[in-house]
Amino acid sequence: MIQILSLLVSVSLLSFIEYILPPILYIIVFPGLIVVLLMLFFMIWLERKVAAKTQLRFGPLYVSKRFGGVIQTVADLIRFSFQEFIIPAGADVFAYIQAPGLLMAFGLLPLIFIPVGPYYANIFPANYSLLIVIPLIIITPIYVILLGWASDNKFSFVGSIREAFLVISYEIPLILSILSMILLYGSVNAINGVSFQIGRGIPGIVLNPIAAFLFLVVMIRTTGRFPFEISEAESEVVMGPYTEYSALFFGIGMSLPYIELYSFSLLFSVLFLGGWWPIVPSAAAASGVVGGLLLPGLVVFIKALIVMAFLVFLRAVYPRYRIDQAITVGWDQALYLGFAAVALSIALVWSGLV
Amino acid sequence: MTGRKNNRIRGHVDALATGFKYLAEPNRMTLNYPDESMNLKDNYRGFFAVKDKTCIGCSLCEIVCPPKAISMLDLTDAGGKKKKRPMIDWGLCIFCYFCVDICPTDAFQTSQVHDKAFYSETEYQTVHGEPMQYPYDYSKRPDYKEIYESFHDVAPDDPSAGSKKVVPKFDKKRGIKYEHPGQP
Repeated sequence: MIQILSLLVSVSLLSFIEYILPPILYIIVFPGLIVVLLMLFFMIWLERKVAAKTQLRFGPLYVSKRFGGVIQTVADLIRFSFQEFIIPAGADVFAYIQAPGLLMAFGLLPLIFIPVGPYYANIFPANYSLLIVIPLIIITPIYVILLGWASDNKFSFVGSIREAFLVISYEIPLILSILSMILLYGSVNAINGVSFQIGRGIPGIVLNPIAAFLFLVVMIRTTGRFPFEISEAESEVVMGPYTEYSALFFGIGMSLPYIELYSFSLLFSVLFLGGWWPIVPSAAAASGVVGGLLLPGLVVFIKALIVMAFLVFLRAVYPRYRIDQAITVGWDQALYLGFAAVALSIALVWSGLV
Repeated sequence: MTGRKNNRIRGHVDALATGFKYLAEPNRMTLNYPDESMNLKDNYRGFFAVKDKTCIGCSLCEIVCPPKAISMLDLTDAGGKKKKRPMIDWGLCIFCYFCVDICPTDAFQTSQVHDKAFYSETEYQTVHGEPMQYPYDYSKRPDYKEIYESFHDVAPDDPSAGSKKVVPKFDKKRGIKYEHPGQP
């Protein structure tokens, strides 16, 4: 009896480690919630610090002075958690409360469908990963618009309308740039894309630099980095769609662009920077959690971190585009670049060069 | 058109290069304030207080004060004698020091403290009266004697007392540079 019980326990434990733990690890630890939170703390601090350093200032310093004020963001979080949550009199209460939650959910969802290691194929069906990621990335701005409309505030409304204009003008270039990589890799499975890059020994950014550049520009636009920080322009529309929000809901609004930045950067490093390239796990190693998920994931994460650091650095350099300038870039140059990227991919595939 | 476009691309590249240059060699101009503070000139005009023993209550400071920051309070001293003493509203004071100059008995205790900060609103109000209503008649406040007691004879503490004193110098490469006077 005891033997049977112990057998049952060991079998369930094994199956737990083998089948149940990896998805939990994927969602909760890496690249999921815990790493997202740490990345948020670090990135917001880095953005402020780098911008300050470049602009002859000190930046956050006094919270943990020895480490250059690195836990300033934690202090901000504590402040947000103890603030009063105010609902404006004219607000559409239901939409006003639910929009930030949905925004957060849809901001985090793409992370599940971006493979950070070959082990990913065992825990989630990876066959259509890119096809799922694109709509999930595109759907978040709808909730930004909802949030601005629900606030019953002129600044919120103007900010959300700006967001809507920009989303429409940069959606097609985004889809075109991902489409050109799908054509090149011959698959909508991002793992196949990475093995394509590792097999040829050429990262995607060299194969199709136009698509990579376009993706980078759209990434800057979607995550509201400078020079496209138009919908939240502080000197023009206070805080854009998030103007009326306070407490943790404002924190969600403030941190959402960074979460989007994170998922975009992971996607960028998977699609264009060779994924987990220096580490090429063998078939046996790829089926283990450490060799198939953690080590490749670390490489992808470091690449994404470098991309994020670059985009965050742009705040120090650029002023802000006017809304009409940004829309012109979206419908004019970016659209042409998108078609050029697709044409380049088709040319590469037809000519048999890759 | 192509020329303009080329310029635009070059502008982006130049901007990024300049940004990276400053990131690699930070050229900070901000004074790291509570740790370092500016070495002030001798005639710098800061907060002041009235020496209660020396003041004769002549109201000249009240008359001369341009923004009408000084108002005279009717007080009674320990011996039951009536006296008038000036009360200063720091929200109005422009630190012109006319009151210090005109005082016939030299009753003003001056200091170079200019950067007083307060931890609470109550502290600010007890030391400096109600900041919201200008000009303010202090004698209408029930606690005006306590306000006066907390204010006279002692100028506020210097919050930057323990800091390194620095002197701003013009520098051709950096623009502004802070030097410690002790250093060569």
